[in-house]
Amino acid sequence: MSVHAISASPSPRQNHLLAALHDAEYERLLPDLEHVPMPLGEVLYESGGKLEHVYFPTTSVVSLLYVMKGGESAEIAIAGNEGLVGVALIMGGQTTPSRAVVQCAGRAYRMLPRALKKEFDRGEAMQRLMLRYMQALVTQMVQTAACNRHHSVEQQFCRWLLLSIDRLPTNELTMTEGLIANMLGVRQEGVTGVATQLQNEGLIRYEDGRITVLDRPGVEARACECYAVVRKEFDRLLPDEMMN
Amino acid sequence: MPEPHSPRQNHLLAALPAEVYERLLPELQITPMLLGWAVYESGDPMDNVYFPTTCDVSLLHTMTDGTPAEIALVGNDGVVGIAVFMGGVSTPTRAVVQSAGDAYAIESEALREEFRLGGPLQQLLLRYTQALITQMTQTAVCNRHHSVTQQLSRWLLLSLDRLPTNRLLMTQGLISDMLGGHQGAIEALEILQQAGLIEYDRGCIIVPDRKRLEGYVCECYSVVKTEIDRLLPRPDTRYRKANPSVAGVSGG
Repeated sequence: MSVHAISASPSPRQNHLLAALHDAEYERLLPDLEHVPMPLGEVLYESGGKLEHVYFPTTSVVSLLYVMKGGESAEIAIAGNEGLVGVALIMGGQTTPSRAVVQCAGRAYRMLPRALKKEFDRGEAMQRLMLRYMQALVTQMVQTAACNRHHSVEQQFCRWLLLSIDRLPTNELTMTEGLIANMLGVRQEGVTGVATQLQNEGLIRYEDGRITVLDRPGVEARACECYAVVRKEFDRLLPDEMMN
Repeated sequence: MPEPHSPRQNHLLAALPAEVYERLLPELQITPMLLGWAVYESGDPMDNVYFPTTCDVSLLHTMTDGTPAEIALVGNDGVVGIAVFMGGVSTPTRAVVQSAGDAYAIESEALREEFRLGGPLQQLLLRYTQALITQMTQTAVCNRHHSVTQQLSRWLLLSLDRLPTNRLLMTQGLISDMLGGHQGAIEALEILQQAGLIEYDRGCIIVPDRKRLEGYVCECYSVVKTEIDRLLPRPDTRYRKANPSVAGVSGG
């Protein structure tokens, strides 16, 4: 999952799954892909709601959240230019008990599930890629479960920041503390404290809801092992040579 | 009276049309699953896939310092080794038998072959994976928001759902691993015992009154159960007769 240069004009190929398809497969999907803005905080799916579209993010990051009856939430995974949002449609579920929220504004390509399912059922590259992506997503969820139990807010914040940046074309993201707090399932003051601390140490710049990573190795050193485990699994399952 | 052992005691295998089931049958080997046996170690190649019939297998995540945490439970509702058909070959997750019994093993390549046909087995395994994802994510949320005692209750009910009895044979070590700590696990066992919700003695846990435990558990139990019921065939569809319209489905 290397960071690709930002091309001048938007293209579905900015999404790594779409980029990995052979021309013939890609061209089959192209007419069904619709370029859409992904505004910060927009809810793509509500828990239990019917999924209308599948999204392939290009310059946005989407957070998959679990929401409890009492309203508490926790992030279970994020998806950006390495993946897609709406796997339940392909797995056969139609709905999912999680909520999908845009956590970094940008753009995505979306399509109707029927068109994607048709391509999936051909049993060619799209199926292989999507299954591998789901397997990597499962690792991310599992690691997040363990991380929620064992690691500090600072470690979790750094993991989340690095995973997000990996899924964007730049080292900068636009966020609100409220959204981060929701995602990590902690109080907003906890997030503010951690962000201020990292800023004071020169690891990030944080102003007007914009976070810029200034010292990546520094942030990596502060993240728990969970970041490296997830990253390694994505690299193993969806290696660059397969993605090019 | 125990029925003679059959792969159809596993709900996924039971839901397959006869044609598919009969293709798999010669490949299925009954395998004793001993308490505490590591079915897969993290990162190991997965030569076989297991369909539990009378055992429970716990999927555990181990941190680099060795701290484990349970992320999901697989019993007669499912299959151990999803990475085999998802394409991963290995997985960073450990799988450990947490309640002894039997499973049917099939060589990974044989399962992959049937999966690639794109028929009923593929549909079923993808749905199962989706339900498993729900279980994992709910566990993530539960780990963060609920008490260890509630987590233990959730885990007990999910385990019993996958077994034919109300009695679990467990070691304290396994329970500690699952709940992510020894002290917390012991306290949780004592709390449930004192409340009369379980009887715990030397590695044997009995749930005398399921309904009462259901009244105590966090919402996570019913979320997972509802999703499994929604996505997967119910046990009462077992021994389904061949349905030509389904049995004839093939890939492409």
